[in-house]
Amino acid sequence: MSCADPKTFNTPDEIEVRGLSRSFGKTVAVDRIDFQVGRGELFAFLGPNGAGKTTTINMLTGLLKPDAGEIHYHGQRFDPQRLTLKQLIGVVPQHNNLDRELTAAENLLIHGRLFGMWGAELQQRIDSCLKFADLTSKRDTPAGQLSGGMKRKLVIARALLHEPEILFLDEPTVGLDPHSRRKMWAFLRRINQQQRCTIFLTTHYIEEAETLADRVLIIDQARIIAGGTPEQLKQSTGNFVLDIYRADEIESEFFADRRAAMQRLEQLDTSVRIRETTLEDVFLQLTGKRIAP
Amino acid sequence: MILHGARAIYLREMLILRRKLIKTLLASAVSPALFLLAFGYGVGRGAQVGGVDYLVFLLPGLLTMSSMNQSYGIATEINISRFYFKIFEEFLLAPLQRWQIIVGETCYGITRGLIPVLIIAFYSLLAGVSLRFGPLFLLALLLHLAIFALLGFIAAMIVKSHSDQATINAFLITPMMFLSGTFFPVEQMPLPIRAVASIFPLTYSTQLIRATLTPGAEVSFTLFGVLTLILATLFFIARQIVARVEI
Ligand SMILES: Nc1ncnc2c1ncn2[C@@H]1O[C@H](COP(=O)(O)OP(=O)(O)OP(=O)(O)O)[C@@H](O)[C@H]1O
Ligand SMILES: [Mg+2]
Repeated sequence: MSCADPKTFNTPDEIEVRGLSRSFGKTVAVDRIDFQVGRGELFAFLGPNGAGKTTTINMLTGLLKPDAGEIHYHGQRFDPQRLTLKQLIGVVPQHNNLDRELTAAENLLIHGRLFGMWGAELQQRIDSCLKFADLTSKRDTPAGQLSGGMKRKLVIARALLHEPEILFLDEPTVGLDPHSRRKMWAFLRRINQQQRCTIFLTTHYIEEAETLADRVLIIDQARIIAGGTPEQLKQSTGNFVLDIYRADEIESEFFADRRAAMQRLEQLDTSVRIRETTLEDVFLQLTGKRIAP
Repeated sequence: MILHGARAIYLREMLILRRKLIKTLLASAVSPALFLLAFGYGVGRGAQVGGVDYLVFLLPGLLTMSSMNQSYGIATEINISRFYFKIFEEFLLAPLQRWQIIVGETCYGITRGLIPVLIIAFYSLLAGVSLRFGPLFLLALLLHLAIFALLGFIAAMIVKSHSDQATINAFLITPMMFLSGTFFPVEQMPLPIRAVASIFPLTYSTQLIRATLTPGAEVSFTLFGVLTLILATLFFIARQIVARVEI
């Protein structure tokens, strides 16, 4: 498959999950979820705080044991003993877990050694990952002294070091300012296309899922409530919204197209706003609440 | 590359240790010096214990105790890297059999435990006490350090938080320091205390290391057997625990 058209959906599924569940005591964190991710897809898992996103990633990467369900990579059943499957996976956790006393290069070095890399080949990979992440000048800076955005990029560079086929990113842009966030999106697209990496990311930013992802899965309270391309999701709710400003609330009505919305608009004499549907509206329609607090 | 995981983990620990070597050296020099002054020169000056000078008795005890503290001390570090910095996730995500984590961390604990050994060897030189630093001593020391590094590793795996760790230290490590024959022979203690001491591994390693260091003393090979057995059991337990550990 060429990097120019990574979105061929008829190739075998990179990830397939069936009936995956996990509880902590009485809290059900993930409840019988099913989904597939295709090779080369940029896939987003969208949900509010506590929805079960991190728990899902932790099960997919072998850090937590599922109570039930199965995970397959390329049709092979995953369990943490399958070292060859672990070699395929790169993980960027929600929390920047760098060794703060060690330099950027040393952090990468240890990761490479953990993945069985060695010598000149490893040094080359370290150099090219630092370059890719724009961190060459920070090579010998202790990780603890990097800015938030640089730390995030270093964690991503580390996850890419062993050339994984699938990259998991748990809230990659959390804590970044809007400008850095956009740069990070471009960076993730670059990874997806240049490194031919399948990307599975979680987020609670609507815009992130909408602009970045090929496909979005919406999760709320441990259950998957909808899935599809951002366009499909919006279409199912209605592409246009009228926000009708009533005395004490804003009521939203959804329409398949602009013409239908305009027709309705003419019947109204209160103050009204017409706009395109966002994934936030989709979430609101499905759950009656907002994603972002 | 064989044992690549264990070696990677050991390398990580060494890179970090290198940056705080001076601090670690100084910190592990202070407490044995104080014990030496208080017990060796204060209380025990001129006394004889079991037919030898008290300093000849005390120095091997201090060596054993201080090196235990250092090798067991990896517990706190693993804890911090597990619950606070979450570096431990990196080890769990890597394609390596989990027992390699045990091997890497145990080797680190052994290395750390050697620091106070050097310091106390230096103190014994200063005090003019000649001890028998030979191959039997090295073998006993290795067993001793590996046992306490493993105990530290196990403790770090079973606790659920950092404060649990302090509780273990208060109930296990501190009593062990005082009841296992570091400062006086266990045989002098009342029977109930001796019973307690007999379940502490430190009692056995102190006895063995003291015998290997004291000129003219007889070294019991049964004790080597006992320590090897303890080591094997702890490794087995650690393996069971680390196979089940989550994040
Ligand atoms: N180790 C744990 N022990 C107990 N409960 C847990 C644990 N981990 C997660 N939970 C619970 O499981 C649920 C899902 O948590 P999870 O971290 O997967 O959510 P999330 O979608 O990643 O949220 P966020 O956006 O805040 O990161 C929450 O109710 C959480 O409190
Ligand atoms: Mg999370």
